[in-house]
Amino acid sequence: MAVKVQIPGPLRSLTAGAAEVDVEASDVARLVEVLQERHPGFRERLLDASGQLRSYVRVFVNEEDVRSLQRQATPLKAGDVVAIVPAIAGGR
Amino acid sequence: MTLRARDLERILEHARAGYPYEVCGVLLGRLGSAPARIEAVREVENRERESPRTRYVIAPEDLLQVDRQARQHGLEVLGYYHSHPDHPARPSETDRRLAAESLSDGVLHMVVSVHGGRTTEAQAWVFRDARKQFEPEPLSVDAQATPRKEEDSWL
Repeated sequence: MAVKVQIPGPLRSLTAGAAEVDVEASDVARLVEVLQERHPGFRERLLDASGQLRSYVRVFVNEEDVRSLQRQATPLKAGDVVAIVPAIAGGR
Repeated sequence: MTLRARDLERILEHARAGYPYEVCGVLLGRLGSAPARIEAVREVENRERESPRTRYVIAPEDLLQVDRQARQHGLEVLGYYHSHPDHPARPSETDRRLAAESLSDGVLHMVVSVHGGRTTEAQAWVFRDARKQFEPEPLSVDAQATPRKEEDSWL
């Protein structure tokens, strides 16, 4: 049950430049582990020391932020599109 | 980085129109070209509610929509722009700190200074994770307006 994961530019160095990767995973937690196994460095970039999604990383399953679903327990099904989106903010 | 004169003017006009509040947007192009070439710019709403004169926030939902549309047109998010009302066109410590906390390596940032509603300067920067700092990025403006492809009219 492959899902398509859209990789943001700053993480392309981990995927040898690939903009999208197909991953077999039943939920978001497993997806992060599969990404880590195939492309070491993903876990550190996406999760904090306690294993939770970092505050600046938003993960969308199709159009829904997993924070409004079941976070890392959010189930995935074949054909889902997962987007990793950085939080962008600043100011003077 | 290189961008078209009309896209730079679009950014400057956005910054002037939004004064005295900070405005923000997205720089789109194709990854891998060096120097980076901005093919399109897209305004997004500053979602900062408490201090929009001195802060900006690009909502992940807004960025997702821009990213999805860009990918359909063969473009990528290469970076962002934001304005500094009555403040210099260089990243602030807040900009640096928040970039360092996010996924920012190699990401372009254009900062536009606006004084009294008039844009005075635009500077480009690129964030480097290794140093946790912005570095100056040479900014080149392509005055020869290359016609956009028809399919890019969504921008």
